[in-house]
Amino acid sequence: MGKGLMKYKGIKPVMIMMAGLTLIQTIAIILQAKWLAEVISALFAGAKLQEQTGGIGLFLLAFMVRQGCGLLMQKTAYRFAEQTGQSLRKQVLSKLFELGPRFAGQEGTGNLVTLVLEGVTKFRNYLELFLPRMLATGITPVLVWLYVFTLNKTSAVILLVTMPILIIFMILIGLAARKQTERQLQTYRTLSNHFVDSLRGLETLKFLGRSKGHIDSIERVSDSYRSATMRTLRVAFLSSFALDFFTMLSVASVAVSLGLPLVQGRIELLPALTVLILAPEYFLPVRMVGADFHATLDGKEAGEAMESIIGAAEEEAAKVAPVPAGADLRWTPQSTMVLRGVGLTHEAKRGPDENAGDVAGKAEEAGAATADNAAMAGDLAAVPQPDGVRGSNEIEEEVKEADIVEEAAQAGNADYAIEAGVRPSLDGVDLEIRGMGRIGVIGESGAGKSTLIDVLGGFLRPTAGSIELNGTVLGDLSPVGWREQITYIPQKPYIFSGSLADNIAFNKPGASPAEVKAAAEAAGLGTLIASLPGGLDEPIGGGGRPLSGGQEQRVALARALLSERPVILLDEPTAHLDIETEYELKETMLPLFEGKLVILATHRLHWMRDMDRIIVMEQGRVAETGSHEELMARQGTYYQLAALQREGLR
Amino acid sequence: MKEQGQQGQERLAGREQPARREPWITPYLRMYSGRFALYLILGVMTLLAASMLMFTSGFLISKSATMPYNVLLVYVPIVGVRAFGIGRAVIHYVERLVGHDAVLRILSKMRVRLYRILEPQALFIRSRYRTGDILGALADDIEQLQNVYIRTVFPSLIALVLYAAAVIALGFFDWTFALLIALYILILVAVLPYISLILTRKMDTEVKRERNGLYQKLTDAVMGIGDWVISGRSADFLHEYEQDEAAVMHKERKLRAWARWRGLIGQLVVGLAVVSMIYWSGGQAAAGQIDYTLIAAFVLVVFPLADAFLPVSEAVQRLPEYRESLNRLERISGGGDGSGEGRAEGRRPAGSTGRKGRRSEDLGGVSVSPEAIAGAASSAHLKLEQVRFAYVAGDSNSVDGVTLDIPQGKRVAVIGRSGAGKSTLLKLIQGAIAPAAGAITINGMPPADFGDDGIPRIISVLNQSPHLFDTTVANNIRLGRPDAEMEEIARAAELAQLGGLLAGLPQGLDTPMRETGQRFSGGERQRVALARVLLQNTPVLILDEPTVGLDPRTERELLSTIFQSTTGKTLVWVTHHLVGAEEMDEIIFMEHGRILMRGTHAELMDREPRYRNLYHLDCPGD
Repeated sequence: MGKGLMKYKGIKPVMIMMAGLTLIQTIAIILQAKWLAEVISALFAGAKLQEQTGGIGLFLLAFMVRQGCGLLMQKTAYRFAEQTGQSLRKQVLSKLFELGPRFAGQEGTGNLVTLVLEGVTKFRNYLELFLPRMLATGITPVLVWLYVFTLNKTSAVILLVTMPILIIFMILIGLAARKQTERQLQTYRTLSNHFVDSLRGLETLKFLGRSKGHIDSIERVSDSYRSATMRTLRVAFLSSFALDFFTMLSVASVAVSLGLPLVQGRIELLPALTVLILAPEYFLPVRMVGADFHATLDGKEAGEAMESIIGAAEEEAAKVAPVPAGADLRWTPQSTMVLRGVGLTHEAKRGPDENAGDVAGKAEEAGAATADNAAMAGDLAAVPQPDGVRGSNEIEEEVKEADIVEEAAQAGNADYAIEAGVRPSLDGVDLEIRGMGRIGVIGESGAGKSTLIDVLGGFLRPTAGSIELNGTVLGDLSPVGWREQITYIPQKPYIFSGSLADNIAFNKPGASPAEVKAAAEAAGLGTLIASLPGGLDEPIGGGGRPLSGGQEQRVALARALLSERPVILLDEPTAHLDIETEYELKETMLPLFEGKLVILATHRLHWMRDMDRIIVMEQGRVAETGSHEELMARQGTYYQLAALQREGLR
Repeated sequence: MKEQGQQGQERLAGREQPARREPWITPYLRMYSGRFALYLILGVMTLLAASMLMFTSGFLISKSATMPYNVLLVYVPIVGVRAFGIGRAVIHYVERLVGHDAVLRILSKMRVRLYRILEPQALFIRSRYRTGDILGALADDIEQLQNVYIRTVFPSLIALVLYAAAVIALGFFDWTFALLIALYILILVAVLPYISLILTRKMDTEVKRERNGLYQKLTDAVMGIGDWVISGRSADFLHEYEQDEAAVMHKERKLRAWARWRGLIGQLVVGLAVVSMIYWSGGQAAAGQIDYTLIAAFVLVVFPLADAFLPVSEAVQRLPEYRESLNRLERISGGGDGSGEGRAEGRRPAGSTGRKGRRSEDLGGVSVSPEAIAGAASSAHLKLEQVRFAYVAGDSNSVDGVTLDIPQGKRVAVIGRSGAGKSTLLKLIQGAIAPAAGAITINGMPPADFGDDGIPRIISVLNQSPHLFDTTVANNIRLGRPDAEMEEIARAAELAQLGGLLAGLPQGLDTPMRETGQRFSGGERQRVALARVLLQNTPVLILDEPTVGLDPRTERELLSTIFQSTTGKTLVWVTHHLVGAEEMDEIIFMEHGRILMRGTHAELMDREPRYRNLYHLDCPGD
């Protein structure tokens, strides 16, 4: 590990400085041992204490130089880790915002946030631990050994032989432990999730009258979890046992091997004592690597996961064709947009099954589930912890997989989609949109409604076809010029922590209070504002007053109105609301749509009568377009959808 | 306690309240005192062995250097060195196993305890902590508490035992010097940790709180990433976020700097202890008090001993980390009947959970004969007469004068927007809360009288997100009636029209659901839950918006399955849409706790233009 380290900015001077410090530290360690041994052997020989003051002073000096070097190294490593972590986070976040909501949705908000916050901490931890450990392992044992060699060859041989044995045993046992964990991974997961599963299902258990009887089950499962964990720990702890055992054995052997020649008078006390003091120092760096192994591995993986997001974004960016200079991306009543053969293929949603290949990584990272747990990591090394944090590895895997899909699609392999078991979300969509008006997009679940909205909003880049906006051919609709034309109202609009006014003025931070108030009134928020103690300044969102689903939609609507952007995209704005709220919201919305280009995707058929034009989607294709009356007369897909909803239940 | 909620769960932690607190750490120390004692002994022995290894080694080579005539004179220390070397590794291994075993046993007890505390409030958890995953957080808290033992309590105790042992051992040689060493160690195990705790406590808490803030802020932003992108203000956010991060970073840097200095100070104390030891042992040897061979032994033993004392500062500094978890757990266990918090949440009826809690403790609360329960389990007549209920006395009523007569087999739909009183009405029917005025009866008796075990035999519930457990489909269905035969489970699945789906799965009913049933679609999950409810086979079924989030086709199909499979059962169906309303015997429109309009579908279509408008949203006629 650590090969990729050299690419981080500013690592070279840091490495050089730390290598220098390690060197000084090692010399201090040797001198400290030497001077201490000198003082002791002099006292042993009957020298006066007063004469030893110089020696003692030197020992203390070497001791403090050693500790001082340690402090400086920690500080240097910390600063470097801090800076590198910060720059990595900045990159990841800005790339994340480039990749947009689709990517965030695919990866899961929770996972991304965990990756950015905990992943960066882990990564910093890794850099901070890894650099000094690597240098110490490379420098200290070698120098100490050389010095011991000059003092006593037998001891040097013992030390030399022990090191590889120790490392081999550690690795072998580590592997055995991992294997054991992998075998039981599924059991572990079930057992460790059982409690949280039970708590979350408490209400359901209560309804079923099973909530009290379930206590036994919790007790039983907790016990099985304990025995399963202990079984694994028995193996996992062997790894550090081997480390301990061989170190201690080696030190003991050195001591004994020094004893006999001493008895025979073949060596002096001074070198013998020096060797004895140095023996533990020889092993110390390796022991520390062993102790921090899981924390570093974890951090390294987190770093790689973040790198892969950056990589994905850069790849995306490379595919975006530049917008021709002078292109007019503004939407006016005279504007046109033409979609030609637009298709979009992205990876099929991965089920939990497909994560099996990830097992090893999971086991690793579960050992040190959080940065806090780093110290525990050695202990619970191989035991997955029930923390619900999804593997950073998994993201990486998914991203890699996405890359493969993209590459294959780029290679123009037309049959790829079928081979890989993915089906296109959009398939050869031809569409022409002119000027203002209300356009409804309807179809069953999975027909491609949301994907079409995402393409129009510039969140998704089509993998096939072209888009022509006002005569300019574009690969996708992500250019800022177009984004400034649109507002987007999803099923669950984003209400951020802040005042109601801030939320409404989100797209137009400079709006005057009067403008905000007018937009709020128009969106039907008047009664709500009147009922709030703080009025427009009432805090909403996380930590503030919770809003109902209908009120959230109205805030989003006010936001759209205030921004005065000509295009409004709506994705299923009312399906989750109760029917009365839906009705009122519709009554508010319809008049506000006047004079704008509104594209509304929904499976609620009632909206369609109020649309100027309806696009009917079916399996990623545009099945038909036209007004409600035209489509009803045609008796096609739309007619059938309507027939289904017209009647009650059959 | 000023934590601004990371999630909604912080609401609980963020409120000062007088509720009594229940300890979560000490009872277990007592409960497992034997195991802990063993662990402590082993821990001390580990460190003693390491110390003795160096002590004996120093002695061995010093003794050897005197060139004794007989090698046998150094035979004992040679054996000692080997024994201590191997012993330290072996004992340490056993020690860790014993420690982890004890902690895992405690965890098991804690889980059961937490579950017992939460069980009586099961129906209120969702509404009390509206946002955030309070249950997940509590489960994590318990996991977090294992660190209290492994990383703080144990190392500190071991250090203290060793402290005493070292000072007493030295006292045999020289009491005054023993006191000096006692002073040095005191600095390591008490003074430094104390100063450290004082210095960092505040900043530690701040860092933690601010990191929670960052977590919330980022979650917020990622959820609203589309809005940020479209608003063109991504850069603003990133800039602001980095500033917040920088503020936290600044504090973290200070904490780390202190930790480094603390380490250095600790090492300085160790260095001074070594020097003192040299002077003392040298002086003692010169004075003939101890043998010259012991100088090396005494000096070398200082280093491994220091390893026991140096980590105490860090162990103690962790204390504030556990505080939040402990607070949450202590409050939840202490606040079992504290109504202050319920009032603050505005959702929980004053005292009602407490009453419920008592009822589930002593089953004497069941005041209905087993025959009456059995009777109601086959046929139940629900009656509500002028029922009123307010969560907070004096507030406007959540349910305000509702009268309903639901004989066995009647199907009632309840519609109204959020806050109209629908959920409260359901809780009243289930006996989870008692009406402030009016009467609710099942076969003439109040629902609460049937008890926690009786009600699930009479009323079953299918809500918006029934929990599916991480086990097989069959096991999930079996929860409806644990003694059900496999055939009955298969029949229930068939009734819920899961047949086609299950036939397509290689393992059929034995297919694992995965966590929260992610393997299946929303409609499929509801069907599994329906099969479970069908197996439960109660005369009354409450449907609490079971189709929210489903597309129209799935919604229709699911409803039609539900209505077909529940013929003869009483249905109380809270719905957000009107599809299927024509299948109901009565439709009730609620607003502000009152019934606004009621009647059959045909009557309402005929009489109420408002109803007609709404119905056409779902079923646009043409």
